[in-house]
Amino acid sequence: MKLVCKIRVKNDLGLHIRPATAIVKLLQNCNCDVTFTHKKEVINAKSILNILMLAAKQNSQITITADGEDAEQIINKLQNAFENRFGE
Amino acid sequence: MRGLENEEFLFVGTPICRGIAIGRPFFFTLAENKALEVSIDPTNIEDEIVRYQCAVTKTREEIKSLHKYLKNERAFDAVAILDAHLQMMEDPLLTTSVETAIRSTGKNADYVFQEVIKEYQNKFNSIADPFFRERFKDIQEIAQRVTCHLRQNVRECLADTPHDSIVFATDLTTFDTAQANTRYVGAFVTRNGGATSHAAIVAKAKGIPYVSCIDLEHVMRLKSSIVIVDGRTGTIIFNPSPATLGKYQQLKSQLSTHFQKLKEVGQLEAETYDGYRIRLSANIETLVDLETLHQFGGNGVGLLRTESLFSPGDSFPSEKEQFNLYHQFVKKMQGLPIVIRTFDFGGDKKFQLQPLEETNPFLGCRAIRLMLKEKDIFKNQLRAILRASAHGDISIMFPMISTLSELLEAKAILKETQQELIAAGEKVADYIPVGCMIEVPSAAIIADLLAKECDFFSIGTNDLVQYALAVDRSNNALSDLYRPAHPSIIRLIKLVVSEANHQGIPVSICGEVAADPRFTPLLLGLGVHELSVAPRYLTAIKNAIRNTSVIEASKLVEKVLTLASSTEIEGLLNREYRLNVPDDCFYNC
Repeated sequence: MKLVCKIRVKNDLGLHIRPATAIVKLLQNCNCDVTFTHKKEVINAKSILNILMLAAKQNSQITITADGEDAEQIINKLQNAFENRFGE
Repeated sequence: MRGLENEEFLFVGTPICRGIAIGRPFFFTLAENKALEVSIDPTNIEDEIVRYQCAVTKTREEIKSLHKYLKNERAFDAVAILDAHLQMMEDPLLTTSVETAIRSTGKNADYVFQEVIKEYQNKFNSIADPFFRERFKDIQEIAQRVTCHLRQNVRECLADTPHDSIVFATDLTTFDTAQANTRYVGAFVTRNGGATSHAAIVAKAKGIPYVSCIDLEHVMRLKSSIVIVDGRTGTIIFNPSPATLGKYQQLKSQLSTHFQKLKEVGQLEAETYDGYRIRLSANIETLVDLETLHQFGGNGVGLLRTESLFSPGDSFPSEKEQFNLYHQFVKKMQGLPIVIRTFDFGGDKKFQLQPLEETNPFLGCRAIRLMLKEKDIFKNQLRAILRASAHGDISIMFPMISTLSELLEAKAILKETQQELIAAGEKVADYIPVGCMIEVPSAAIIADLLAKECDFFSIGTNDLVQYALAVDRSNNALSDLYRPAHPSIIRLIKLVVSEANHQGIPVSICGEVAADPRFTPLLLGLGVHELSVAPRYLTAIKNAIRNTSVIEASKLVEKVLTLASSTEIEGLLNREYRLNVPDDCFYNC
């Protein structure tokens, strides 16, 4: 299953090191490919370096694509995490 | 600059960690020597990849062990950074892509890795936002570790400095300090870094003297074979004269004799020489700490920080997990009492359940305030503690109480939980003392009201000083204002103790002040019944107790109360300590 959703970065400092760590940890054991698209750049969301290099600031929009068995579950988890500002 | 080589030169920086070291200067610079490009024979390419994988694995292991170490030292900011470093070490860009590149280019791992890192450097440099650009530093830090493992012949780690090295560096990372071998590294001297930096926390825990704010450029021009570091005063001496050297050599040997003697104090009672016994307990975060507690003859645990038992970011511990852990602690107490403090999340200790962003977390929804809002989590913890109480001598303590109603509400929830457990047929101790932390000035001022509802008080001086003086202790620019010897703090402690005495309840001190032997007579004189310190300070404090008398201590308090400034009070405490414990040249100088 392939799912796509759009999401806004709420954290004050954008997708900095803490949220990036949280994202890759969340995706560690998932059974799907996850990419983030930001300003036309498409990256593998399981790579912390890639996420940091996106340099996504607060309020920037990210398109999440999840392709695989647990795509729905993963998208839900990511949406929650973005919504909760990754616990910050 | 004639005769520079033989002249004694003295620099004074900021003292960070006490202690004395004599050694040879070792300039710790980041090695920037380039890796040579070497073609690898196709038959050996897989071996080269394995070599790279080994370097990555070793780096990962290092980060993990440092992670654990810093968690014990409660340096949670640093732990969060290391979490990110661990993820970077798992990142396909630093693992599989490098391996693929080694295979496709047929070049040596050192060179390929260096080129990959350079590529990221360029990418990060092209990011417009300086905040994100800065993050390359993290990659650089782990890249250095990997390189260090790839090139075993290059001395870039502090793990293998020559004997008696006085390490000079612009900056020290937490990793550098943690890796330093205490047998070889005598002291640290840096240009940057303050007393609350993570590197400083590690240096303190390892007992390595540390001085910062030293102009390195100046220092590096001096060709000196011997340098002395006095971490008590922040003094660095180059080319010491024979007289100076002799003086410091004597001091150093005095110091090691003193530490040796302290070990022997471990099994003696915490009793003043005129026979007044005081409870000397430990602040505990791990089960391992309990071994040190027993070894140094602690009277119990004055503070178990339950929030440190679980790492921030992990999912929230269930009642069962918590019970198992508390039960283990209680069992290991061997009958000694343990004070369990309910979760103190918030402020600098973040956790998943932390509410929305706060502009000022230290004045925000933390500790008991958060628990009273998250009643389920609070009751869950109380259930686990109450169940464990059937197996030993447990007291319960609430953190960050600032008004009476909070204490009453927390106690009501505790009572309700207890009744529910008993109704369900669970075993709970018949009597569980309940106390509260006094760490907010308002709580100290209404100590009379709180004392009527408590079985004991514990004064958390670290926060009390911060709140009373309105000084953030992690702000290096304000370090001059963070003074536990401020007259206001002493008056607050005096007030709390006298109100507690009225109600006949004991007072313990669990902040860092309790772990500074120069404060011991003052605290005894103020009538404090118990001191609770990190296990490694037990012997120094016990020694200080054994070398004072209650009568002298009360006289000292009378004198202190007439003084108007922290500086005068510190001076008096220092003089008193020098009289009581003249051979402790760690604190006396």
